[in-house]
Amino acid sequence: MGRPESQPQNLSIYIAIPFCQVRCAYCDFNTFAGLDDLMAPYARALAREIRLVGEAAAGRPVHTIFFGGGTPSLLPLLVYQDIFAVLRGAFALTTDCEITLEANPGTVDAAYLLGLRALGVSRLSFGVQSTHASELRLLDRLHSFEDVRQAVALARAAGFDRASHGLNLDLIFGTPHQTLAMWQASLLRVLALEPEHLSLYALSLEHGTPLRSWVQRGLLPMPDADLAAEMYGWAGELLAAHGYGQYEISNWALPEKAEGRSRRSDPQVSDLRLLAPGRYQCRHNLQYWRNRPYLGLGAGAHGCAAGWRYSNVLAPGAYIARLEHGVVGEFPFSPAAVERTRQTRADEMGETMLLGLRLTAEGVGGADFEARFGATLAAAYGRRLRHLRGLGLLAWDEAGARLTPAGRLLGNRVFREFV
Amino acid sequence: MDTAHIRNFCIIAHIDHGKSTLADRLLHLTGTVPDRDTTEQILDSMDLEREKGVTIKASAVRMSYTAADGQQYEMNLIDTPGHVDFGYEVSRALAACEGAVLVVDATQGIEAQTLANLYLALGAGLEVLPVINKIDLPSADPVGVAQEIANLLGGDAQAVLPISAKEGTGVPALLERIVEHIPPPKGDSSAPARALIFDSHYDPYKGVIAYVRVVSGQIRMGARFKLMATGVQGEPLEIGVFTPGMTPTGELSAGEVGYVATGLKTVQQCRVGDTLTLAANPAPEPLPGYQKAKPMVFAGLYPVDGEDYANLKEALDKLQLNDASLTFEPETSQALNFGFRCGFLGLFHMDIVQERLEREYDLDILATAPSVEYEVLLTSGETRLIDSPADLPDESVIEAVREPWMRIQIFTPETYYGTIMELVTRRRGAFVEQEYPAPGRVLLTYDIPLAELIVDFYDQLKSRTRGYASLDYQFHSYRQEDLIKLQILINEEPVDALAMIVHRAEAYAKGQALVSKLKELIPSQQFTIPIQAAGGGRIISRANVRALKKDVLAKCYGGDISRKKKLLEKQKRGKRRMKMVGAVEIPQEAFMAVLRLGDD
Repeated sequence: MGRPESQPQNLSIYIAIPFCQVRCAYCDFNTFAGLDDLMAPYARALAREIRLVGEAAAGRPVHTIFFGGGTPSLLPLLVYQDIFAVLRGAFALTTDCEITLEANPGTVDAAYLLGLRALGVSRLSFGVQSTHASELRLLDRLHSFEDVRQAVALARAAGFDRASHGLNLDLIFGTPHQTLAMWQASLLRVLALEPEHLSLYALSLEHGTPLRSWVQRGLLPMPDADLAAEMYGWAGELLAAHGYGQYEISNWALPEKAEGRSRRSDPQVSDLRLLAPGRYQCRHNLQYWRNRPYLGLGAGAHGCAAGWRYSNVLAPGAYIARLEHGVVGEFPFSPAAVERTRQTRADEMGETMLLGLRLTAEGVGGADFEARFGATLAAAYGRRLRHLRGLGLLAWDEAGARLTPAGRLLGNRVFREFV
Repeated sequence: MDTAHIRNFCIIAHIDHGKSTLADRLLHLTGTVPDRDTTEQILDSMDLEREKGVTIKASAVRMSYTAADGQQYEMNLIDTPGHVDFGYEVSRALAACEGAVLVVDATQGIEAQTLANLYLALGAGLEVLPVINKIDLPSADPVGVAQEIANLLGGDAQAVLPISAKEGTGVPALLERIVEHIPPPKGDSSAPARALIFDSHYDPYKGVIAYVRVVSGQIRMGARFKLMATGVQGEPLEIGVFTPGMTPTGELSAGEVGYVATGLKTVQQCRVGDTLTLAANPAPEPLPGYQKAKPMVFAGLYPVDGEDYANLKEALDKLQLNDASLTFEPETSQALNFGFRCGFLGLFHMDIVQERLEREYDLDILATAPSVEYEVLLTSGETRLIDSPADLPDESVIEAVREPWMRIQIFTPETYYGTIMELVTRRRGAFVEQEYPAPGRVLLTYDIPLAELIVDFYDQLKSRTRGYASLDYQFHSYRQEDLIKLQILINEEPVDALAMIVHRAEAYAKGQALVSKLKELIPSQQFTIPIQAAGGGRIISRANVRALKKDVLAKCYGGDISRKKKLLEKQKRGKRRMKMVGAVEIPQEAFMAVLRLGDD
């Protein structure tokens, strides 16, 4: 029972590249090391999936694409040339389409980055994680902070600058043995690189990861949640002082007119005024948090469109086989989709809340919510919202609902009210 | 049938010594129940009983047996409840018999309930036929156990019959012995009718079914009956015997055992121990020994989900139809909202009720720590009965508090004498006497406050004696003690459901133990939560549950919402098992924390 959507919305596309040189100790994503032989057939299968789903999408405009992993920067440029040709043939990309690619520092060179930029990649996201050799070793990261510096310089030179959708750097905090001083040092070093966007992720010990088993076996201390909270608070203040605006629990971006803070004399800076507000916020991730439709392509990718949440088969080999032999489904499903969950209106409302409340600045807008569901926030969740407001976790007014600063670190206590 | 060919008997045993298996075997051998077609342990009709391996309700089955003398006998087997909580019901079942088969496990020997039941049977004037069961087991010691029994009963060890109820060995011989040794009932069929009600159950079509032993006279269809203790009258809807299903006979005469379908709506009107007589020609005196079942242990039962309140009430109503000793009345707790204060015969009875509510009625129940009933003498001269610690008035208006004490018998290998003594004295118990009814084993008698007995005592006893000690208990007396209310304050608010009544000398230790247990059980929340114990007008102990600083998922990668939702759902399920008390979420276990303070 699909609901007619009131207006054709821009789509987003997530593309999974599930290959890594090694698996990081903390990572539980769907990714594989040592399957490089599968890269070529995988790219062919992906191209086929893009064509099939693109056909079914019937020309709906696409305004963001995100290559995630895995390590997308492991695929050769030639492969991306093919993928982009297919993408542009299959989907109607908007002129300002945000195209992000995740890269590991140390896996990229100047020609590669120039090539990506020329293909239309407009945003790079580097997994920095830490600037300390000891922490990088613990996390099984292969690069050094020097690699990061070089990669950033190469990216800038390749045109991933303020006229593009910018550069993101990921950092992880709350790791075993990490001190507040180490965290502060990492942050300051990373800020010196002047990224347009920063993602700061608190470490969680995921099931099945080496890090978790090391902690369980007592080889490493359990990360201290109180210390992580302190690190988070400290980071928030520092980033604000450096002009970064927090827009999501773990994400910060520079505003458009950051020239006052920029120490570089970039000729393009004067043009920044012309750019859309929030340009450096990750439009792709905003799509998730605003609970808007996105397609998941590639092994293990998740999608949400046309009233369904779905995900593709996890193993790259199985994914390739399904695209060779599988049957084409109805939009948005490709032959690789193995899990499908119909979204009821109640699901969609609840998910709109628990995702939207991650957006620390905008939250869930009252008018948006009512326009989308035909019910006010008060009618749908009044009791729960009042309760959470009473606990000081939530601010709720005519404009909408959003987490309070206290609520940001205790978000789960808010989100779980909506599942 | 003339009374000379009737034998009314019961089987008495310690728990798990094989009473129900023997009953089944007798039913098979007499052809009452065909062998193939039976569920195991026919007399235990409730699943729960079967699982717990004990009999909760007595049953009565008529068997027809052709003895070696060629004559046919009507044998009425009256099954007795197998747990100390049901001592009164046992005594009434015994009163309906002339003899008792005493079953002793060949691998365990005599135990506390063997003795307790034996003394009850001898007290009721029954002929006791001892048998040693489970002789098929490799660890059986029939000779040693026979000697124990002979020492106990006086007589010849050779005369004790070895059997295996499971395999049937020795059971035919037992049937013969029953015919030979158990006397037929005496009773004057022409006297006014008197029938002892020794059990009952509720039938939705026929009302309360009274299980009766006719002692004198006759009851029959068409003659209105009268229950002498409650004064209730009625017309019997059906009169018959259990074979083991209900088989109408239309009448029962002196000496016989059977049932009367009374049409009554509650078992409270038709109580175990009451005398059924005829309304037109009532007996001048009821049969002796009637007592109203009195609950000894009390606890609040609350629906976890407040919306289940009405369902809980309905379920309790239904359970009460069959259980005259269950009492309940509405109770309001500031912590747990609306529920019921329930009275039980003992902890075991409480367990059963709780399990039935959860299993048969699919209710999530939160039970508060059990309490006993205190007699509180106020300075005004008024005496008040308090079964909920929260209700204990302020110390300034209390003249004295009296609490129920029990007399307990512990039967144990001598080796455990010391550890048992320590357990009992630690719980304010006092030594009364010791006996050596069997070599190497001792029967210890103590007096101990019931309040100490209901908190984990039995488990402690079992663990300290590796399961060898057995326990029996009876109410002894109310005694005045220096008792005070121990209050628990969470986030500065007293939580009524956590209050306890404790001896003043123990208030400090218990307060501390409870506070540290609660600190473990209450999860970190948004703010620091002080937990305090207060007693005798001052704070005895305090601890803080530290504030939770961080509980948020860092990211949801690649739009994978489902995994994130699963985690939140798990958290949410955990939260459902919490009760909000003020602004604090308290997990259910916390309300039972008092039971888990341990003895160390």
